[in-house]
Amino acid sequence: MQYAINSLLRQKTKTIFIIIIFTILTFLLTSIFFITHSIKYELDTTANNLPQIIIQNQQAGRLTNIETTILDDILQIDGVSDAIGRVWGYYYFKQANVNFIVMGIDNFENQYKKSFTNISNKYDLSDNNSMIIGNGVKKILKKNYYTDYFNFITPGGTLKKVNIKGVFNSNIPLESNDIILTSKDVVREIFGIDEQYFTDIVVKIPNPKEVNTIATKIKQLYPNTKVITQEQLKVSYQEIFDYKSGIFLVLFIVALFTFFMIVYDKSSGLSSEEKREIGILKAIGWKVDDILKEKFYESFIISFFAYLVGVISALIYVYILQAPLLKNIFIGYSALNVDFILPFVLDTQSLFLVFFLSVPIYIAATIIPSWRTATIEADKVLR
Amino acid sequence: MIKLHNLTKIYELNKNNKVVALDNINLEFQQGELIILKGASGSGKSTILSLLAGLSKPTNGEVIIQDQRISKLPDDFLALFRRENIGFIFQKYNLIPTMSVWENIALPLIPTNPDETILKEKLSKVMQQFNISHKENSIVKNLSGGEQQRVAIARAMINNPNIIIADEPTANLDEKLSLHFIQILKQLKSSNKTIIVATHDPLFFDLDFVDKIINIHNGRVQ
Repeated sequence: MQYAINSLLRQKTKTIFIIIIFTILTFLLTSIFFITHSIKYELDTTANNLPQIIIQNQQAGRLTNIETTILDDILQIDGVSDAIGRVWGYYYFKQANVNFIVMGIDNFENQYKKSFTNISNKYDLSDNNSMIIGNGVKKILKKNYYTDYFNFITPGGTLKKVNIKGVFNSNIPLESNDIILTSKDVVREIFGIDEQYFTDIVVKIPNPKEVNTIATKIKQLYPNTKVITQEQLKVSYQEIFDYKSGIFLVLFIVALFTFFMIVYDKSSGLSSEEKREIGILKAIGWKVDDILKEKFYESFIISFFAYLVGVISALIYVYILQAPLLKNIFIGYSALNVDFILPFVLDTQSLFLVFFLSVPIYIAATIIPSWRTATIEADKVLR
Repeated sequence: MIKLHNLTKIYELNKNNKVVALDNINLEFQQGELIILKGASGSGKSTILSLLAGLSKPTNGEVIIQDQRISKLPDDFLALFRRENIGFIFQKYNLIPTMSVWENIALPLIPTNPDETILKEKLSKVMQQFNISHKENSIVKNLSGGEQQRVAIARAMINNPNIIIADEPTANLDEKLSLHFIQILKQLKSSNKTIIVATHDPLFFDLDFVDKIINIHNGRVQ
């Protein structure tokens, strides 16, 4: 082992070069895995928290607000435990070029999400001039000097001042990051939604097996509506994710291709100095095993060290620095542009995959040509 | 005793081009002898040394050293045999240029994982014997030819082998250093080592402590 370490130190420039290339490739591969895994985890959790059925109104093939009277009819359908009319929309904040989701919740109502129930229990929003904001919204507003309140511009051009009462911290950052929660009346005022309308209606069904049947019933009752089930939403989320992960796949393939080019180059032969060193070692009494053991240690030290540095750098890059540049490819799945924190999910499978794709392959690429040279007569190698 | 029996070595350069380097050589050397193999370049001297050290295998015939048919030994046993019995001083020294003096000398011992104290003792002894202690930590590529040769001798001697083989040892040395090397040979012979030197340097031919001078010409003993 000591000989292997000394040998690597003797060839400092070459060793450092290999370690740098190896580290960059490991870092890239691991970062890609970490980012996709974190976002996939986040999307899965978000999708599982979606309402079982969402009913939207359509007019002339376009989505429009839905009448509040429909709510009572929905509640009459067998198997429906609750139906909640939602009032919400995207508010474009020009100064920061971002969209916030402004969602209305009334304290007296049942909420369709546990996180909203918690907010409703904790904060009283019935004063019609207060709001709870997500972390991403908070950061952006703070950058624009709105620390205590924010002035929304209504469709009529007037300002609606709403005080910031608290910060919304959900277990799912992707869901809560860009959201503003306030009373339904405030949302109606900001977006100009009439009291007789909701943006959409969410339906709770205790028995998941009945979801599709109830969705069909609603569609039959109101042919103009668009009825979306949780399963359909999951599929559309997955499609967006798959499209974005295609971009990552390209990066992944490029990184992998570069690595295998290096491995191929290495395995295709040793330099004349390397061959000569093996010849000398054989001539002075080293067995083939001794030489291969030494080469194993050398390649293991290089590849494992580079792997560790690559993985640690990827952990820092993804979870501490929040993957600048790469993250932007994924985030903003609702055309949003707010800060989103990648949740830390230890992806051991990916770590093993990157390990087995890099370390053993590099070791083999070092040992095989060394073995070829070491099994030739020393006299031939030295000539 | 060392015996070369009907030894033939043919190098096959390609299908139609074969070079007979040694042609049916028969020689015997006794323990403690100093033998000079003389002959022009390409006469086959180095090939004999290479076969003696087991660095290559004969096309026909065999090399018997201390009753062991070394030309029939498998590669790994041959390496072990070489490590324990043979010290080879190469014409171009064959040192690893980026290593220090002591690292080069210690190389034959590395696979045996020697105890650090024993390793230091052995190193100190050979480095003193061949007057290279003061360059212990110098990088070999920065040494003079004479110093590099002493490192090569020290490396060949670190395992205290019975047989010392030297291939054109004075080819890269001036006369003063060549005479110094001859003194080292004398010193080694006095400790009953069998020494085989391949050379065409006339300095070796009139030495009173040489036991045999064998003339090799076109792969044959003359």
